[in-house]
Amino acid sequence: MNRSVALLMLCGLLLAAAAVGFLRYIEPRPTPLQGFTAPFVFGKFNVPADNPLTQEGVQLGRRLFYDKRLSGDNSVSCSTCHIQQLAFTDGKARAVGISGNPLAFNSMSLANLLWGAQRFFWDGRAATLEEQALIPIQGADEMAQDLNELIGELKADEAYPDLFRRAYGKISAENIARALASFERTLVSADSRYDQYLRGEVKLTAEEELGRKLFMAHPDVKVSLRGANCIDCHSQFLTSGFSTGFDGFSNNGLDTEEMLRPGLQLVTGQLADRGRLKAPTLRNIALTAPYMHDGRFTTLEQVLDHYNEGIRYSETLSPLIMEADNQPRDTISMRFSLNLNEEEKHAIIAFLHTLTDRRFITEEKFSNPFEAGD
Amino acid sequence: MDRKLLKVLVAIALLLIGAWIYVYQTSQPGVVSLRFDTVVGEEPLALNETRYPNPGGAGLFRVRDFQFYLSNIVLHGKKKDYRVPDSYHLARFDNASGRYQLDLPGVPPDAYSAITFSIGIDDAANSSIASVGDLDPNSRMAWNWEVGYKFVLFEGALLDGDTVQPLVYHVGFSENRKILRFDLPESFAPGSPEPLSFTVDVMALFTGKVTIDMAALPNVKFDRADARSIAENYGEMVSLATTTGDAQ
Repeated sequence: MNRSVALLMLCGLLLAAAAVGFLRYIEPRPTPLQGFTAPFVFGKFNVPADNPLTQEGVQLGRRLFYDKRLSGDNSVSCSTCHIQQLAFTDGKARAVGISGNPLAFNSMSLANLLWGAQRFFWDGRAATLEEQALIPIQGADEMAQDLNELIGELKADEAYPDLFRRAYGKISAENIARALASFERTLVSADSRYDQYLRGEVKLTAEEELGRKLFMAHPDVKVSLRGANCIDCHSQFLTSGFSTGFDGFSNNGLDTEEMLRPGLQLVTGQLADRGRLKAPTLRNIALTAPYMHDGRFTTLEQVLDHYNEGIRYSETLSPLIMEADNQPRDTISMRFSLNLNEEEKHAIIAFLHTLTDRRFITEEKFSNPFEAGD
Repeated sequence: MDRKLLKVLVAIALLLIGAWIYVYQTSQPGVVSLRFDTVVGEEPLALNETRYPNPGGAGLFRVRDFQFYLSNIVLHGKKKDYRVPDSYHLARFDNASGRYQLDLPGVPPDAYSAITFSIGIDDAANSSIASVGDLDPNSRMAWNWEVGYKFVLFEGALLDGDTVQPLVYHVGFSENRKILRFDLPESFAPGSPEPLSFTVDVMALFTGKVTIDMAALPNVKFDRADARSIAENYGEMVSLATTTGDAQ
């Protein structure tokens, strides 16, 4: 009698232990990402609590990023429009996906996404990188993929079920988005000449230094301070837009009232936000031509010319752009110019070239894993 | 007799428990909430509406952005002063409620008679690139690391006839930090559900001590004398409204 009770109890214990073991097996326990660092001057950043950076998540995200099966006809991947050698842009004025119809917007660089405006796309319509990641996959002109079909394809693959199990548990749209967002968050560009200068490792040339000073200054004629007011929208260390609220969105005078895109107004519904678009990071800007949300400028010289003498007025035009002038402003004419000279424009372009990070565009960890063979 | 004694004992026990609860509650740190509402003269500030008269000249102006740094909050108590840690707070009003509310947790119990805080930040923080509190060298409130922070940011436009004149008042420099002190009502205590309610008069930026004609001075940035004028004015823009709990 006693013996059978004891036996029953032992069986129970064993079953419980097996159950715990099994649960542990199916419950993923990914490894927190080791060695993820960023420069002190970039400041605070937030990784969402429900998608911490893990080795398994980042590895999976990298594979998905480069996998053409993410598109409906298996012809394009995220990396088609986000090419590492071009700092994850595509060299086109406006992105082209499956349909061959150019999109409304220029492909954005994917660098230092943990900092700067924490809304994504030029008009800020995605509130998180996770939300962002699934939109191009399903876009008819982009990757034209049905998420259920994609999940089916991934389940049938020999590698993905195990990779998903280790990172997140199961294959789902949510976990695809998590993995892609995780990989994108690791794309840190922090070894440009400008970074080396900030770390005290190199000196800038006289021309670059003049450009840096102009970049970092809002002009003030009254105290003879010359400036290009870049810093009014592009923060001093990150060179991205600002992260607080919608501070990272501006109307930079590309179009007149009639031609203005809704921009941030799509998100907020506020007329005052009409035409405000995301100020992108300027990291690697020398590699990411053509420029602006619609790729209208092919060179940095054209970009400088726009800010110097091409500003068009509309109701929501940034008051800082209207007001910035290196000569006493004619307040009646409604013409806006920075009034920089040629030497100053060249210097700013020289400074912009110091933002190129060769390590970023050659870093093995960011490259195509199918070609690297790991 | 026994029953009477029991009643007395129960009464004493209840009293003790009540007293203990009272003492316990009043000895716990509590939250102090500060609330800031923007007004223009008498009416609440409406952003992006061209409706406010240029105080020193012709035209109407609109406000597109208005924000400022509050820092170094100190509550002056009977026992000791409570200094809020990492006290750098960016007051901004472009939210649904149109107001800035700041909740300070963990304020020790004491009889507080006054509160002081600064508009602007101290020199040490102004010459540092550390992200403490709401200080962020990569934000729009930072000029660059060689200059420091804007303490008060006002951007908008002045409209007069067909002309639109941009208004840019970016006022900083360590000498323009203004320390304000307000006496607190006797009813004030940490943990009170009623916030301390302040009003911020945006018009005071241009009318406080020096009346400003926006057409003649449409921007203030790095000119020390101009910055000082606006700073003198913003030193007068905040007032403590009577709290609802202390209504007269």
